[in-house]
Amino acid sequence: MVALARKTLVYEWRRFLPAMLAVGFAGLLQLLQIALVLGIFGSTSLYVTGSSADLWVGYPGTQSVGLGRSIDADVQSRLLMDPQVQRIEPYLWVDGDWRGPRETGGVSVFVSGIDPAADGLMFSKVLPLALRARLAEPDAIIIDRSALGQLGIDIGQSATINGQRVRVAGVSSGLRALGGVNVLCSLDTARRLDNDTTDNGPTYLVASLRDPAQADAVAARLRGATSFGPYTTWSARDFAQRSVRYWLFDTGAGAGVMFLAGIVFLVGAAITSQTLIAAVNGSIREYATLNALGVGVGALRKVVLEQAFWVGFLGLLGASALGIVLLLLARSQDVPVVLNAPAALACIALVMGLAAVSGLAAMRSLRRADPATLLR
Amino acid sequence: MSAMPPAHAIEPTRPPALQAIAVSKGFVSGRQRTQVLDGLSLSIEAAELTLISGPSGCGKSTLLAILSGLQQVDSGRVRALDSELGQLDLHALERFRLEHTGFVFQGFNLFPALSALEQVELPLNHMGLSRNEARQRARQSLEEVGLAPRMHLRPSELSGGEKQRVAIARALAKEPQLLFADEPTSALDAANGQIIIDILHRIAHSHGTTVLCVSHDPRLVVHADRVLAMEDGRILSDRRAPAPVIDSKRAPS
Repeated sequence: MVALARKTLVYEWRRFLPAMLAVGFAGLLQLLQIALVLGIFGSTSLYVTGSSADLWVGYPGTQSVGLGRSIDADVQSRLLMDPQVQRIEPYLWVDGDWRGPRETGGVSVFVSGIDPAADGLMFSKVLPLALRARLAEPDAIIIDRSALGQLGIDIGQSATINGQRVRVAGVSSGLRALGGVNVLCSLDTARRLDNDTTDNGPTYLVASLRDPAQADAVAARLRGATSFGPYTTWSARDFAQRSVRYWLFDTGAGAGVMFLAGIVFLVGAAITSQTLIAAVNGSIREYATLNALGVGVGALRKVVLEQAFWVGFLGLLGASALGIVLLLLARSQDVPVVLNAPAALACIALVMGLAAVSGLAAMRSLRRADPATLLR
Repeated sequence: MSAMPPAHAIEPTRPPALQAIAVSKGFVSGRQRTQVLDGLSLSIEAAELTLISGPSGCGKSTLLAILSGLQQVDSGRVRALDSELGQLDLHALERFRLEHTGFVFQGFNLFPALSALEQVELPLNHMGLSRNEARQRARQSLEEVGLAPRMHLRPSELSGGEKQRVAIARALAKEPQLLFADEPTSALDAANGQIIIDILHRIAHSHGTTVLCVSHDPRLVVHADRVLAMEDGRILSDRRAPAPVIDSKRAPS
């Protein structure tokens, strides 16, 4: 079979270049947007994804990690009764008001009181062991490197949170928060910083399981007991998604992403279809001749659709290469970008869908390939 | 159907390859209606080079489009080989053209990206031939029009005459019973025009193909087996070349 679609694409690549660029940039734009949104809003589930706990226990109805209420510490004994539960530790969330050595105005901080033990679950994936050990010192806190300027402080200096003295014992990366600054400290320090008298237990209890794959089942069977006061359980994956979803949809960011996806799709499809239509029109007499010789309209449509596919594929290839470079660049600059498989697949689907719609639009102009017009 | 007497009962031994019976065709542009063909009847014999000549606008191209099934008639009937073209739907017409017809147009209409060999091979792919068979036939066909040494060149590397020979090879490789040519020489100089005429004539006689050629090129007239002169949608004259001279298969010395 003579590969008409591919040979034409290679021979007349200049003609198809605008379509490939349109598809490529549409894909790139969408890719970066999704990566940024996931990166920014992914930080709202950092507390879950950066930790190695499989099970989260918190106040019923909690919509996001930062919106928890304290639960009864005795829930721990209920959890320990489950044979799957391996290790439990409390996690204390305190909203704080920061006053640094330099004038910064009010800065709200999210204090995370964690177990500083070397085998602690909380933030085990983002906090190096040496740094973690420093949290055992009284009043020690750890913040993200990028927050130093925001808090007006340097390593080793002291400041106050909720009127209590704290000292920056170290900085780490990957601890960025949304709408404030994450402050990590020991549970003891956190309790001292918490000036809310109604808090009399941890905000969460987190647990590791003997078989992490059982998280959903364990979470389900530990739910519903009321003898220890109100609490509920989630698997870590559920709770992380819950947090991200809350931010995506409650802030309208999700709608923004969809809106931009729609715009990108329309603009990309408009340019791509016009280019493909021009390419079809440029060969309309040749297509008509093939039809005169008995090659069916269906076969000609396939050629156009195949061209659209290749344009989409090559555009995608360019977008992927450029996208990876840009994402790496963003990472190196501490810009929060995250790309997961579903998001990448969504981008691929968007781009190939765009190419397909453009191909279908271009197919319509094949109707002008009427061989009778070749006879004058 | 076979009881129907042919419109031109010149050669009663063979049924005509193409037959138009009282066909009419008009076009509407704006409020103006132009009747191009009005009740025209005509038979084209098999294995001959028939030339329809006449001034532009006389309806000869419309007649070609109708006889080849590219256009529908307003009234009347068209028989091609054993098919009533008016009774075939779009798909069946494509099928008919795929199996039985070849076309050569004034413009060569070659894909710029394909080599001569690929241009010829492309329609064969759609005829259900195997890859090797298609390539084999394409080569043969290009050899027959004298382009064997240039079969790997693209249209941009070929002269006008060579391009038209590729177009002829593309039609010929299908081994059609009917070959339609619309002004095949008018874009070519005298020498190249002559080559094209010779090839078309040879195809009619050596392959038994019915070649119907529409042209106002006077150079073609002496090479045709039969010349129909057309004007204002009517056949004015129907002349045959003196049979014994042309029918001789021996090369003229």
